[in-house]
Amino acid sequence: MTNLAKRIFYKELVSYRKRSSTYLSPIVFFLITIALYPLALSNDPADLSFLAPGITWICVLLSTLLSIQNIFNEDFEDGSLDIFFSLRVSTLPLVILKILVNWIFSSLPIIILSSTVVFLLFLPSEGLVILLTSLLIGTPVISLFGALAGALSLGKSSILGPAIVLPLSLPILILGTSAVTSFLNGENPSFYFLMMLAIFIFLLPLICYACIGALRLHYE
Amino acid sequence: MNRAFNNLKTFYHKLGSSPWFYRISGITIPYVALLSFLFLTIGIVWGVFFSPTDFKQGDVYRIIYMHVPAASVSQSIYYTMTVAAVVSMIWRMKMAGIFIKSMAPIGASFTFLALISGSIWGQPTWGTWWIWDARLTSTLVLFIFYVAIISLYSSFSEKKSADQAVSILTLVGAVNLPIIKKSVDWWNTLHQPASIKFTESSSISPEMLYPLIISIFGFYLVVLLSGLMAMRAEIAKRETNKEWFKNY
Repeated sequence: MTNLAKRIFYKELVSYRKRSSTYLSPIVFFLITIALYPLALSNDPADLSFLAPGITWICVLLSTLLSIQNIFNEDFEDGSLDIFFSLRVSTLPLVILKILVNWIFSSLPIIILSSTVVFLLFLPSEGLVILLTSLLIGTPVISLFGALAGALSLGKSSILGPAIVLPLSLPILILGTSAVTSFLNGENPSFYFLMMLAIFIFLLPLICYACIGALRLHYE
Repeated sequence: MNRAFNNLKTFYHKLGSSPWFYRISGITIPYVALLSFLFLTIGIVWGVFFSPTDFKQGDVYRIIYMHVPAASVSQSIYYTMTVAAVVSMIWRMKMAGIFIKSMAPIGASFTFLALISGSIWGQPTWGTWWIWDARLTSTLVLFIFYVAIISLYSSFSEKKSADQAVSILTLVGAVNLPIIKKSVDWWNTLHQPASIKFTESSSISPEMLYPLIISIFGFYLVVLLSGLMAMRAEIAKRETNKEWFKNY
């Protein structure tokens, strides 16, 4: 079992590394959208530093949307998902590892990049650690929703993914931005972190099994 | 006790059979239609013409007889859909799938009605069509959920997988709706320190309450009626080529 999991993990890593567009496009998208906000709203550092946590979170959320179609689509189209579902092994590790690798390649670079908002959006530098922590805790939940949406809309129109992910991600968006703003207002943000963590732990098994159910639908 | 349970079990099994449902719903629809017409007419006419004028809001408040029932119905429909989703996932009952498919547009329209009537009410009383208040936001999210369910259903060509996919989404939504509601509450207290209070607990007088209860009943009956009709139409659509339907 662990051997199989390790192989799946390496296979996923290699296949992501070979398709550079799948992890480069969210990064490019993130940088462009971050640059759009000062142009559209205001270039005043005071305004921007007030809006920075919200803008960063929205941009992260939107750029992870770009990669959700990739979680299962490739394997669905070349038939390897078909083979995996016909094997007599548990599909749970496959789903979890796919979500994990997708998170490593699509969310982690964006989280690292989002530290540039200290310069670009004038986020007060003491808030940066809180912002990064909130992103680290919050984005796995968004990846879970993304995997579910990807599994449900496999081979379907791509507008369906955002229509499912965005309303589900509202709590994470609220908690993530609230953590940063409450810290900047001099409050303790640990409540928001614990809440996001609780949501993640609660949803992890649920969404993984929902994903398996959704993937099965395409093989009935 | 045992007999009652057995009766319940037979009823449940019958509920899963589309010919039985088609026949029974055909018989009950006229009565439900009559009842819902009666309740709705009494509730609305009583509320709009005969109940006393509110001393604070004037006659504007009378939209309550449409807004509150619509808001109440819009949430209840989602709960019933959740139950149907559980049934559809565990027992693969096809009637549960038909139920979700038929109820989602009805739920969406009542949620929309609640939002629209709420903003028409809000314009004269709070002076704005919309505020980002906790309750308004979570109703909007509920509406988006309904639309997502409808669009997910329409993206599948195979009815059986469409039913299952929609059940999964309905369940995940049902688990998330309380979380969304709670987090919207936190967000609201953080960003808007009590700008406009519109839910002050003004105890409603009985002359206003009775017509409200009657029109809430009326709305539930309308939902029952439209649900039965939509499910009947869906059964007819899916089973046009079945033997029992041709002989019906």
